[in-house]
Amino acid sequence: MRGPHRRLLEEMAGPGAVVSGESPPVVAPSSTEDVGRILERASREGWRVLPAGLATWLGTGATGEVDLVLSTRKLDGLTSYEPADLTFTAGAGIPMSHLRRATSGEGQWLPLDPPGSERGSLGALASLGTAGPLGHAYGAPRDHVLGLTLVTGDGRVLKWGGRVVKNVAGFDVTRLSVGSRGALGVITSVSARLFPLPDRDVTVLLSGYPEGESAHLARSLAAAPLPLAAVELVDPLPGLRDLPDLPRGGAVVVRILGSKARVEGVEAKLAHEIRALGRGEASAEPGGESKRLTDVRSRALHAGLGRWEEGAALVLRLALLPSRLPQLVARARGVMEELGEGRLSAHAGAGVVRLALGRVSGEEGERRGGETGRWAGVLGRLRQELEEEGGSLVLSSGPRALVREVGAWGARPGEGRLLEGLKRTFDPEGVLAPGLSGSGEGGRG
Amino acid sequence: MPESLPPSVLKELEAVVGPSWVLTEPDRILVYETDAQTAHRFPPRAVILPDNTREAAGVLRVLYREGIPVVPRGAGTGLSGGALAVEGAVVVGTSRMNRILEMDPANRRALLECGVINSTLSAAAAPHGLFYAPDPSSQTACTIGGNVGENSGGPHCLKYGVTTRYVTGLRVVLPDGEVVWLGGLGRDRPPLDLVGLFVGSEGCMGLATEVEVALLPLPESTRTLLAIFDTLERAGRAVTAIIARGLLPAALEIVDQNTIRAVEASVFAAGYPVDAGAALVVEFDGPEAGLDADAREAEACCREAGAQEVRRARTEEEREGLWKGRKKAFGTMGRLAPDLLVQDATVPRTRLPQVLARVTEIASRYDLRVANVFHAGDGNLHPNIVFDRRDPEETERVHRASREIMAACVEAGGTITGEHGVGVDKRSYMSMVFSPQELQALREVKRVFDPRGIFNPGKVLPDPEEEGEPEVAPRAAAGGEGDR
Repeated sequence: MRGPHRRLLEEMAGPGAVVSGESPPVVAPSSTEDVGRILERASREGWRVLPAGLATWLGTGATGEVDLVLSTRKLDGLTSYEPADLTFTAGAGIPMSHLRRATSGEGQWLPLDPPGSERGSLGALASLGTAGPLGHAYGAPRDHVLGLTLVTGDGRVLKWGGRVVKNVAGFDVTRLSVGSRGALGVITSVSARLFPLPDRDVTVLLSGYPEGESAHLARSLAAAPLPLAAVELVDPLPGLRDLPDLPRGGAVVVRILGSKARVEGVEAKLAHEIRALGRGEASAEPGGESKRLTDVRSRALHAGLGRWEEGAALVLRLALLPSRLPQLVARARGVMEELGEGRLSAHAGAGVVRLALGRVSGEEGERRGGETGRWAGVLGRLRQELEEEGGSLVLSSGPRALVREVGAWGARPGEGRLLEGLKRTFDPEGVLAPGLSGSGEGGRG
Repeated sequence: MPESLPPSVLKELEAVVGPSWVLTEPDRILVYETDAQTAHRFPPRAVILPDNTREAAGVLRVLYREGIPVVPRGAGTGLSGGALAVEGAVVVGTSRMNRILEMDPANRRALLECGVINSTLSAAAAPHGLFYAPDPSSQTACTIGGNVGENSGGPHCLKYGVTTRYVTGLRVVLPDGEVVWLGGLGRDRPPLDLVGLFVGSEGCMGLATEVEVALLPLPESTRTLLAIFDTLERAGRAVTAIIARGLLPAALEIVDQNTIRAVEASVFAAGYPVDAGAALVVEFDGPEAGLDADAREAEACCREAGAQEVRRARTEEEREGLWKGRKKAFGTMGRLAPDLLVQDATVPRTRLPQVLARVTEIASRYDLRVANVFHAGDGNLHPNIVFDRRDPEETERVHRASREIMAACVEAGGTITGEHGVGVDKRSYMSMVFSPQELQALREVKRVFDPRGIFNPGKVLPDPEEEGEPEVAPRAAAGGEGDR
C-alpha cells in the first residue's frame, strides 16, 4: 500500500494516536500541531486523507478511496467558555452532547439540530454546515461559528475569525470553511455564539390532513408572520415507535420557543392562523387536527428528527424557492415512487425537502450495478429540472457508484474556476478528500 | 492629479456606457476623491458609471485588458478609506444601478441592483409587512452594494446579525469581466460558500452588480427604554445583567458623557441630562406577547445597576426621541473640533469595562479627547477622537493613540474592526490579528478572483514588506485555540 505505516503515524502523533490499524488506518492526533505534521507529510507523500470527527457520519466523503482517516476525536476540550459573553471555544472533537451539557448548566445553548448532530462532534457540525429544523428561526452553522482553526492540506495552521460576534478584519475564511466538508483543511477548533435557553419549548402537531394539503399548510404557517422556531413537514412521523397513540402518516411539526408569555401568545396566534387557513381557499380541508404534545412526546419526536437520516442508503436534499414547497413535495413523492420506499422531511421555511430512501441499500446497490444506471438517470433528470427552476439537488449520502456518477452537487457556470482556485490555495497537493468535483472523489479525482 | 487614461481607452469606455457616464473633468470627479472619513484624498483617473451588469462587464473587460486598477464605489459613506482611488485607479460607481428588480414577498426576498440605498429597500418592503434588517447609521445614504462590500452592521445587529446573514445570492462581475451567479435562495450552496466569502471582501474580489437579500417580517411591536447612569461602568454592568437574565434585546447602545454633551449642545438635543456619565438605550421588538415582561426585567436590571432614571417610550415619537442622542452622535461631534476620527473595534462583551478604562487612559496620556459610542451588546466600540488636522503634531498623537487603542482591543481578545472594514486605514494593523502565513493565504484567496491584482489594490492586505513587527503578538488574547 502507498499509505502511511502505523509506526510512522505514531512517530508523528505519538503512541496511541492510531486508533485503528485497519486499511485505511484511523489516526487521532491530540494536538493541532500534530494534525499539521501529519498533513504536511501527507502532502509530501501524496497520501489521500479523509478528515473525520467522531466518525459517526462520513457523508459523501466516505465514498472516495483514501489512504488515511484523520479523526479529531481527541481534540475534545472545552477550551474557554464565558457565559456572560454567550460564546465558547472548543476542540473540534468535542461531542455535541458534552457541549450541550456544559452550556445548559448556564442556561444557554447552541440552537442547531442538523441530522445526526446529537451523536456527532462540533467539528463535524461545522464542517458539514447543514441546518436542521431549527434553521427556520436560527439559521445554519455558518451563522453561529465566530472563528475556527483550519489546518490546511499542506499542514499550515491558520486561525480565522475569533470569538467576538462582529468581526470584519480580512476576508471571511470562517464562512468559507464552514460547510466545506474537509475540502480545504481539517477544522481543529471552533468558536461559536450561544443563545439563552428558552424557558418554554412547545411542540404543536398538525395531523390528519390529506396528503397534498399538509404541504400547503406547512408552507402557509412558515410564511405567516409568526415567530416559530421550526415548521417541519414529516412523513412518516419519526421516533414515536413507543408512543402508539400518535397519528400515522404525514404531519406538520411546529415548534415554539421562548418565555412563558411569549410562547402562550404565539400559540394563540398559531391556533388563530390555522382556523383562518381552514376558512380560506388555499387551505387545509376539514378533518385535520392540531394538538400540543406533552414534553415526553415532544422530546421523543425531536430526537427522532435528529436521527432521521440514520440507516438510509441514499439521502437527497431537494431545494426550490420556499413558495414552491407543495410542488417540490409532490415531486419528491414522485421520486419515491420511482426509486422505492422512503421517508420525507421538509424544512417548510427554507424550501428544502429531504428524502431518505431505504431500499437502495449501499452494499446491495454496489453489487447490482445495473440499477445504478437507472437511479442515476432519475436523479440526473431531477437535478436538471430543479436547476432549471433555480433550485438544486444534493446527494447528502449514498452508494459510492451512484454518487460518483451523479455527482454530490450540481455545477454552476463560472463557479468552477473559483472553487478549484480556492481548493488549490488551501490544499495545493489535493490530498484532502472529498474534492469539490461533486463526485465525492478525492482532490485529484 | 494622476495621469489621465489614454484617449483610445476613454473612447472604448464611452462606447460601452455612453459619453456622459465617463467622467474625467476635475470638478466632476471631486466628490469621488474621498469617503466619509475624509482623512485622505485621492482623485481617480476617471469615474465610470455603468447602468447595468452588461455595461459593468464591458467596462471591466476593457480595464482588465489594459491592466488599469479599479475601485468599485457605492455612496462613499465608508469609514475606512475602502473606496479611495489609490494607485492611479479608475472608480466604477454604482449610482445608476439603483433599481429594485424583484420584490418577492411570498419568499421574503428581494433582488436589487447594487446601487439601491439601504433605507429605500426597507421602505419598499414595508407595504408587504417586511423589512431589511441591517441598519448602519448611514442607512439613508449608503448602498446595498457598499453594505455587501463592508459586511455592514448597525444598532439592531445584536438580535438580527450583520449583512452576511441576509445576502442570499450575488451576481458578480469578476475582475476580467466574466459574470457569475453565486448562491441564490431556494438553492443549496456548494460546499464552499462563495457568497459568504464575497460579503465583506471590501471590493477586492469583483463588483457585485445584483444582490438577492432575505427580508424579515416587521416586528409587531417595540419597547424602548433609556437609562441614565452616573458612570459608564454602571451602564456596562446593566448590560451584563440584561444578557445574564437571558433577555435578547434588539439593541443595546451606550453613549458616554462626552457624546451626551456634544449632542445636547447641538440642534439635535435629545433631552439627555448633560451631567450624566452614560446613557443606555435598550430596545426589544417582536410579537406583542411577552414584550412588556422583557422591558420590565431590563428596567429592573438597569435600576439594580444604579440607574438614576429610566425613561420608557410610549409613542413612536417618544421612541425616536430616546434614540436621537445615539443616532445623531457622530454628526454632532463635529461641534467639538474640526476633525473626527471614527474608530471601530470589537472586544468580548465582558471585557468592555476594562477596555474602556484603557481607552480613557490612552487618550489622556496623549492629551486627546475621546467620545465613545458603542453597540454594547456586541462588544463593538467606537472611540471617536476629535482633533484638528491642521495641527500636524496633534494629528500624529491621534495616530499613535489609535494604534494603542487597537492593540489594547486585540490584547483583550478582540479585533481591529467590527463593522467599518480595514480599507486603507487599518492595513497596517492587520498583522496584530493575522500571522504572516494567514496574510499570505488571504492574498492567495484574493488572487483566485483577481489574478492580475487590479481590483481595489492597496486595500485590506498589507504588502508583505510592510507587515513589520506587530506590537502585540497575534493571538495574545487569553483563551487558547481559535481565539482572537
